[in-house]
Amino acid sequence: MIQYAGIALFVFGIYGLFVNRNVIKIIVSINVMEIGLNIFIISIGYVTGSSLAPIVSSTEDLGLVYVDPLPQALVLTAIVIGVGTTAIALVVAKMIHSQYHTFDLDEIEESV
Amino acid sequence: MKKLVGFVVSLALALVIILTLNESALFPAFGEVDLAERISSQYFNLAQFEAVGSANIVTAILAGYRGLDTLGEVTVLFISSIGVAFIMAEQTRKRIELDYKANFMLRTGSRLIVSLILVTSFYIILHGHLSPGGGFPGGTMIASAILLLYLADEEFRSNIRGFKILESLAGTFIVVTGLLGLIFASAFLENFLPSGTIGELVSGGIIPIIYILIGLKVGSEISGIIDHFLSEEETV
Amino acid sequence: MNTILLIVIPLLAAFIALVAKKGAPYLLLGAGLFNIVLLFFLDTGFTFIGGFDQAMTSDLLGIALYLDTYAKIALWLVNTLIVVIALLNFKAYKQYGSVLLLSMAGLNGLLLTNDLFNFFVFLEIASIAAYLITVSNRKFTDTFHYIVMGILGGSLFLFGVTILYAMTGSLNMIVIASELETNGQYQDVILPFIFIFIGLGVEVKLLPFNSWVKGVLASSNTFSGPMIASVYAAAMSFAMGRLLTNLLVFEGALLTVVMTLLIIGVVAGDLMAFSTSKTREILLFSSIAQASLIALLFVQGIVIWAVYLIIVNALSKLVMFLVINKATHAIGSDEIKRMKGLFVNNKFVGLMFTLATLSIMGLPLFAGFVIKLNFLTSLASLGQTMVLIIILGASLVESIYFVRLLVRLWYPGEETLDMKYSNPFKFVFAAVALILLVLGTYTTPLYELDDNIDQVSEEVIHG
Repeated sequence: MIQYAGIALFVFGIYGLFVNRNVIKIIVSINVMEIGLNIFIISIGYVTGSSLAPIVSSTEDLGLVYVDPLPQALVLTAIVIGVGTTAIALVVAKMIHSQYHTFDLDEIEESV
Repeated sequence: MKKLVGFVVSLALALVIILTLNESALFPAFGEVDLAERISSQYFNLAQFEAVGSANIVTAILAGYRGLDTLGEVTVLFISSIGVAFIMAEQTRKRIELDYKANFMLRTGSRLIVSLILVTSFYIILHGHLSPGGGFPGGTMIASAILLLYLADEEFRSNIRGFKILESLAGTFIVVTGLLGLIFASAFLENFLPSGTIGELVSGGIIPIIYILIGLKVGSEISGIIDHFLSEEETV
Repeated sequence: MNTILLIVIPLLAAFIALVAKKGAPYLLLGAGLFNIVLLFFLDTGFTFIGGFDQAMTSDLLGIALYLDTYAKIALWLVNTLIVVIALLNFKAYKQYGSVLLLSMAGLNGLLLTNDLFNFFVFLEIASIAAYLITVSNRKFTDTFHYIVMGILGGSLFLFGVTILYAMTGSLNMIVIASELETNGQYQDVILPFIFIFIGLGVEVKLLPFNSWVKGVLASSNTFSGPMIASVYAAAMSFAMGRLLTNLLVFEGALLTVVMTLLIIGVVAGDLMAFSTSKTREILLFSSIAQASLIALLFVQGIVIWAVYLIIVNALSKLVMFLVINKATHAIGSDEIKRMKGLFVNNKFVGLMFTLATLSIMGLPLFAGFVIKLNFLTSLASLGQTMVLIIILGASLVESIYFVRLLVRLWYPGEETLDMKYSNPFKFVFAAVALILLVLGTYTTPLYELDDNIDQVSEEVIHG
C-alpha cells in the first residue's frame, strides 16, 4: 500500500512538472516528486513481523529481527540533498522575479 | 493539450513501474525482505557492532560505514549555502519588510521558546548514536530557532560573519578528523578512538564528534540561507 | 598517498576558502596542481573508506573507490582542464574560486567511486556546482530550466539505484553486476537500467532530456561555455562509460530502443547545427551530436575509441568555445554574419581554430581521423552497418556546416573586425593544436593504451 502511495506521489510530481508554468509551482512539484521517492525508498526496507527500529541497546538484543537500516540512511541523505537543490532553485526564482517582475514562464517568454 | 499529454505520460509511467515491479521475480514484495541477503545483516554482526560502538545502527551507517556519503551530503548543503550567498550577493543589505507585525505574545514568548528549542536541538545532536536523531535534525532545529527570532523581531539579523566562520571551521574539522583516521589508522574516516561501552553517552569512537560538527555546520548553513532570503537590497 | 586525497584536498580548500575569500583562486590553483601531481604517484586498485572489509564480495560493508588507467586518464583530463580554464579566467571571474573547487571535488569523486549511492551524491555536488557556473550567464530562466532537468535526472537515477538495491542487496556496482549475472533474468532489470541510463543521460546531454543545453550554452561566456561543454561533458561521458561497461547491460529490444535514441541524437544534433546561423548554437549542437556518438560507442563496447573521442572532443571544444565566446564578448553578437572575417586580423588564432575544427571533422593528419577510422572499422566488424551508414551521413553534414563556418570566418566581410586575443589564450590554443597533430601522426600511444585498458577491465570483471 505504501509503495503505491510513494509511486503515486512521484508520478504526481512529474505531472506537475509537465503542466505548471509558474516557477514556484514547479518547485513545489519537484518537492512532491522527491517526497514520493523518499517514501518508496523507506518502504523497501520494511520487514513484516518486526516492529523494531534498528537501535540495539545491548549486545544481547542483536539476535532480534530489526527493519533494514540502510534505506533509512539513504533517505536521510536524499532529503538533505533535496533541501540543498530546492534552496538553489528558490534563489534563482527570486532572481527571475526581480528581473521580470513575474513568476509565470509564459509571460516571461512573451515579454522577451 | 499539454495537460493531456502530461496526464497520459504520467499515468503510463506509474502503470509501467507498478506492473514491472509486481511481476519481477527479484524485487521483493512489501515486507517480505530477508535481511540475510542484504549487507544490512552484516551491520548486526557482533564483531562489527562492538568495533563501531554505536547503539543506533542508522547512525553507525551514516557516520561510520558510509561516512563518505555523509561528507558528500554536508558538501551539498555547503555548496547550496555558498550558492545562495553568491547569487544574491548585492541584495542583502537590509531586512525585507513583511506584511505582518509581530504582536506582544510572539515577541515575549519567542524568547522563552527559542531557548527551549536550542536545548532540545543540542540534546538531539549529542544523543545521535543512542536514539533517533543526530546532527541533521538537530542542526535544522537550531535553524528553526533562528527563524523564530527573525519572525518575532523585524530588525533582527543574526551574525552572518560568525556563522560563516563556524561553518568553515566545522567543515574543516570534519575533514581533519577523517584525515586523522588516515594518519593514525589505515583509511580515511576510520575510527581511531576507542569505542567504549554501548549505550553510554561517551561511546562510538569518532561518531559523536562528527555528529556534533555536522549539527553545528547544518545549523549555521540553514541560518545563513534564511537570512539571505529575508533580506533585500538597500533602497535609498 | 591515498586516492581519497584527490577528493578531500579540494574539499578542504573549499571550506577554508569560505573565510579566506581573497585567497580562493590561489587555493584553487594549488589544489588542482596538487591533484595533477598526485596522480603520478598513486597506485591503481581499490581503496576502502573507513577500512571496512577489504574484499569485493557481497559482504562489502563500506564504500570502495577504484582507480585504474581509465579513471587516471579521466582525472588527468578533468583536473588539467579546470586549472587551465581557471587560469584563463583569473581576472574576469575571480569570485568563482570556491565553486570551481567544489566542482573539482565532485567530478573527481564521480570518476573514482564504485558505489552507486555515492555516485548519486557526487553527481548532485557536481550538478549544483554546474548550476552556479551557469549563473555567470545572467540568464535566470535558462538556469532554472537546467536546475529542473538536473533534479529530475537525479531523482530518476536514485529510483533506479533503489530498485537495484532491493533486488540484489548491495550498492556496489561490481557486486550488483555479479549478483544479477548469477541470480537474475534480464526481464527484471530493464526498468532500473532504463531509469539509470536516462537519469545520467540528462547530464550527458542525451535525448530525451537535453533541452537545457540550448539555453545554457547559447548565451555562454569564456567561463561557463568551456566548463559545461568541455569539462562537464568529458567527466559525465567518462562516468557514463564507467556505468555502461561495469553495470548496465543492454540486450534485445532494450538495446534497439537505446541505439535508436542515440542515433536520433546524433542525427538531430548535426541537422540542427546545420540549420542555425549563430556560431554558439553550431558548437552546442555539435556537442550534443558528439555526446550521443560517444554513448553509442560505449553501448557497443568500443571502449578505447570512445575514451579517445572524449579526450579529443574536450580539447577541441575548449579551443572552439574559447575563441567564439571571446569574440562574441567583444563583438556583442554571435550571428555568423557579424563575425565574418574574424580571423583576417587574428591569423594565429584562426589557424589554431581551424586545426581543432578539422580534427573534429576527422581529416587525416589529425587525431580525429585516426579515431574515426578505428571506431568505424570496429562498428563494421560488429556488423552494425546501418549505424555505420547513418554516422557517415551525419559526419558529412557535420563537415558541411563546419567548412561553411570556417569559410565565413576567414574571408572578410563588409566591416573589419578589430579584436585581439591575449597571449595566455594563444598559448592554450597552440598547446591543444599540438596535441591533436601529434596524436594524429604518431599513433602508437593510442594503440598501446588500448591493451592496458582492456587488461584492467578484465581484472575487474573476473577478479
